[in-house]
Parts: sequence; structure tokens; C-alpha cells
Amino acid sequence: MTLNVTGLSKEIGGQQIIQDITFEWAPGEILGLVGRNGVGKTTLFRSMMNHYVPEAGHVTVDGQDTQRVPSRQQQLFFIDTQYNFLNNYRLWELPDFFRAVYPRFDEQRFTSLLAEFKLDRNSQYRRLSKGMRALVNLVLALTSNATYIILDEPFDGLDVIIRENIASMVIDEVADQQKGFLISSHDLNELDGLSDRVLLLKDSKLVHDYNLEDIRAKAKKIQLVLNDRVIPAVLKEHSQLIRVSGRVLVVVITNYTPEIDQALKDLKPVLFEELPLTLEDLFRANLAHETGYQMMK
Amino acid sequence: MFSSKLDRLIWRRHRKLMAVIGGIALLGTVMMTLILLHTMKQNPEPNMQIVSGSIHKWQVYRGDYFNAYSWWLVLAFWLGGLEIMHLDLRDHFNEFLFSSGFSRLRVYWAKLRMALGALLGMAAVVIAIQYLLYWLSKPSGATFTLAWPGLITSWAMGLVVSIGMFSLSWFASTIVGQTGSLIVTIAGFTLSLVGSSGIGGNILSGPWFRISRSALPWIGAGVWLVAAVVLFIWGAVLYQHLSLEHNGEYLLFPRLRVPVYVVFVVYVTWLYSYDSDVTTMVGAFIFSALFGYSWLWRPRLGEMWHQWRESKQARE
Repeated sequence: MTLNVTGLSKEIGGQQIIQDITFEWAPGEILGLVGRNGVGKTTLFRSMMNHYVPEAGHVTVDGQDTQRVPSRQQQLFFIDTQYNFLNNYRLWELPDFFRAVYPRFDEQRFTSLLAEFKLDRNSQYRRLSKGMRALVNLVLALTSNATYIILDEPFDGLDVIIRENIASMVIDEVADQQKGFLISSHDLNELDGLSDRVLLLKDSKLVHDYNLEDIRAKAKKIQLVLNDRVIPAVLKEHSQLIRVSGRVLVVVITNYTPEIDQALKDLKPVLFEELPLTLEDLFRANLAHETGYQMMK
Repeated sequence: MFSSKLDRLIWRRHRKLMAVIGGIALLGTVMMTLILLHTMKQNPEPNMQIVSGSIHKWQVYRGDYFNAYSWWLVLAFWLGGLEIMHLDLRDHFNEFLFSSGFSRLRVYWAKLRMALGALLGMAAVVIAIQYLLYWLSKPSGATFTLAWPGLITSWAMGLVVSIGMFSLSWFASTIVGQTGSLIVTIAGFTLSLVGSSGIGGNILSGPWFRISRSALPWIGAGVWLVAAVVLFIWGAVLYQHLSLEHNGEYLLFPRLRVPVYVVFVVYVTWLYSYDSDVTTMVGAFIFSALFGYSWLWRPRLGEMWHQWRESKQARE
């Protein structure tokens, strides 16, 4: 079971918003989609969901084009946070719509999750706060039981408690390998510990598709205190400096080999400590120059 | 109630507003009926007949005290076309429908079927209540006698005009993406039909075609039906290519701008200059060309003027 996006391109008002986007997505994966504001993340989702008619490209689910076999679209779930019809309805009314579209919609779970998050089922969607709306969107996404769930900036403007709730629910959902998530964000910290793969959009193109597990297997983040202030050649050659504070260096080495390990130990550092590697560190080390990642911050 | 999930979804979405439209049609018809009954009671005549003998003829019945097909129903169909097509765009229900797993063609024809089904049902109920009201509230001594020829002809003609009106507002809502502009456009065009149908009647009964006046309503009905079918099919073709990034723009299909402009200029020029002199024709042409350009392209003249002046000053 896979979803394939192939050569998807969309132009709006004479401007190319996304160009030749190609990637594969399988259930059990949590894909992060990162890129600066306005780079085309939402346009990609809208084109995938048939809201926009793309100039080129197609989306297939298990080899079937969603344009030719529209029922395949029911395996994808996406609520556009900017443009959706939910505003005029009360929460208890929403299952009427989603039940008709998602064959495995779980109404009982919908009701119990509303209660769990203390969301009043009689509230109108438009009267909810931004965080509550994000929660309702997530509840609908989870209870739709669609295979491929797209969340567009789901953590935007949310407090840390709701963020953690959402992240843990997403992780729980993919545990049985039946569902996959594609989560967009312009903030890498939000995707840290959540994504298996990260797709990077830049200048309307998908410039990188990173498998974080592979990268993490080879990379290390190390804090060193050296005897003098000169940065040794081994670090200049193989590492990306994250922070320098006097003689204290924090570096990320993307391809950490036994030779590098030995060379660092030969320096006889006063302190040699491995630090947890964050997604942001990896991007700084790998992509800082070529992707304009720093501009995202 | 519905065998198809799509029908159920569409009905769930539109049932409240369809009920409101039904309420408007019913209220308007009842109000008109009560006014006519009151007028009759104010002017009592011996052996008064609410419906005249012409109801026995195969022609549309138009009486002083009774209309076989209420004009409020025509309004209801007109509103129905606007409601079911435009509100899904405005409220972003189209986004949900387009990703619902039902093909766009299926969604389009299901919406059309549901809307027309609901409106026809509504028409039957309103007509039944209207006739019942006449029968129950007729003044003492008055008779209320109906006959199938006049009724069937009036209903058929009323429904054809209603479906024609529905097709106009439905199609306009398929191609226009702004609520205010849509209402102005469709209301303007609907009102213009009063003039254009009169001109059309004159041309057909004139020396070139020599069609009898009694045949004109049937030709009109035929034109309405053909126009409705063409608009429904054309709408289906366009609906498949509707890309929602144009939501909120005047024309949802930018490529239609030039054809719409040409049709508008030709139609308005013809409407105003029929049976008039050349000066009127030129005036109508200039007016429609300028108005159509400013309406469809909405040039920001002030901004363009400032840009031109600044670039001129920079060159100097």
C-alpha cells in the first residue's frame, strides 16, 4: 500500500507555486513537509486533494490514479484550516458529513474524543478558539480512519499541552502501520521526534527527501572542550559548528566514522560529551547553505 | 430516505435552505391568494366564478382572481439554483465535495437532481395548498371549478419557465465567484429577459417569420427548455475543470472573460438599439463596451495613472 505523488505542478496567477513534486508515502510513516512560509505546502495539499486542478502530475493510491478512480480519494484526509465548511455547524452535526465520505468513520470515538478534550458538542465550530479548532480537526482526522492523513501546520499557535497531546496521538495512530501522516510545518522543532522522513520544499520544488533514521544512524552531535582555542582540522573538515563559546564547541558530524572518533580522542579534549541530536541540528548540518534553512527561522 | 451516500450528503447540506426557499414560495403564494380572496369578498357578484371558462382551453390560464401557477414558484426555482450552486462555493463545501471520493460529474448531476427534485416537490405542495385555500375560503355563492386542459398547460408552461430560470441562476453560480456581483449579474440578466422576450416575440410574429401570437408561448417554452439543457450540459463540462484557487474572483474560469464580454456587448447593444436609430445603437455599443470592460477586468485606473505618471517623471 502506497500513495505516490508524481510530477505535480500548479501555477496560480501566472506564478509557479509547486513544480514537479514527486514522492512516495506509505502507511506507518510520518512525513514532515517543511519549507518557508509561502513556499507552496498548502498548495501541494490542495492539489493532492483535488481542490486545485494541477497543470501536470497525478496522485495514485495503490497504483490507481485518484482522478480516474475517485473513490481512492476517500483514503486521504485533509481539512483545509483556512477554507473549510465546518464554520456553520455545531460539533455534533459534523459526523453526518464525514460518515458519508469516509466509510470507516468512527462516530463513537468522535464523541468520546470530544468529551476527552472537553469540547462541547453543542459548540459551533466558528466559536471555538484556534487551539480547539485544531483539536477538532485532529479528532476528525483520526476518527475518519483514512489511511493517509494530511495535517497542515497542526501545531500553529497551540500551547505546549495541546501540542504534546496531538503529537502523542499521531504517534499512537501509526503504531499499527495502518495509517500514515503528512505534517507540514515551517518550524522544525514541531516535527522533532515525530517525523520519520522530512520533505523539504524550496523555490516551489521538492529539493530533499530525507530519511531521518538513516541520517541519525550516521550523525552525532558532540560537545567538546579543547585545550586551546584553535579549531582542529578534523572538525573543520568533517563537522558543522552549531555553537562556539570560548573553548566550548558544539558540533554535528553527519558522517561519524571510527576514524573521526579516534582523531577527536587523540585531541585529548577536556570534555567530550554526546548530546541528543535534534532535527534542527541535522538541518543546520546538512542544509544550512543550500536550502536557506536559516531564513526559515 | 436516500439510497446513495452522495444524495444524503447533499440533502444534509442543503435541506435547511431548501426549506427556507419553500417557506418563501409558500408564504408568497398564500399571501397573494389571501389578497385575491379578500378582493373578491370586497366586490361580491352574483354567481361569481373564481376561474373563468378559458380554463377549459389548452392554453396558459390567466385570470383576475386565480393563477394556476404561482410566480412565487418561479422565484423559488431561481433562488434554488443560486443556493445550491453558489453557497457550496462560498462556504467552501466544494472543497469537501471535490475530495469526497465521488467524481465531480457525479456530484454535479446529483446536485442538479436533488435540487430539481426538491423544487418540484415544493411546487406540488405549494400548488396544492394554494388550490385548497381557494376551495376552503371562497366567498359564499362563488364557484371554484377547475379543468385539466388549462391546468396542465399552465403547470407545464410554469415549470418550463421555472426550470429555465433555475438553469440561468445555476449556470451563473457555476461561473461567477463573488456573491454580490453574482446577484447583480443574474438579477440584471433576468430583468433584461422581459425586454428581450418582447423583442423576440415581435420579430417572430413580424413579416419575416409570420408566427401566430398564440404559438409564441410554445416557442418560448421550447427556447427555455433547450437553453436549460445547454446550460446544464455546459455547466457539467465546466464543473470538472473548476479549480478553487479562483474562488472569490468574479469569473471562476478566467478563459471565459473574453467570450462573456463579447456576448454581453452584443446582447446589450441589440437590446437597446432594436427598432431604434444608429445613434442609439452606437451609444448602446459604447456604453456596453466600456461598462463590460470595467466590470470584467476591473482596471485600477487610479493606480495605473500614478504608475504612468511616475514612470514619465523618472524618464524626464
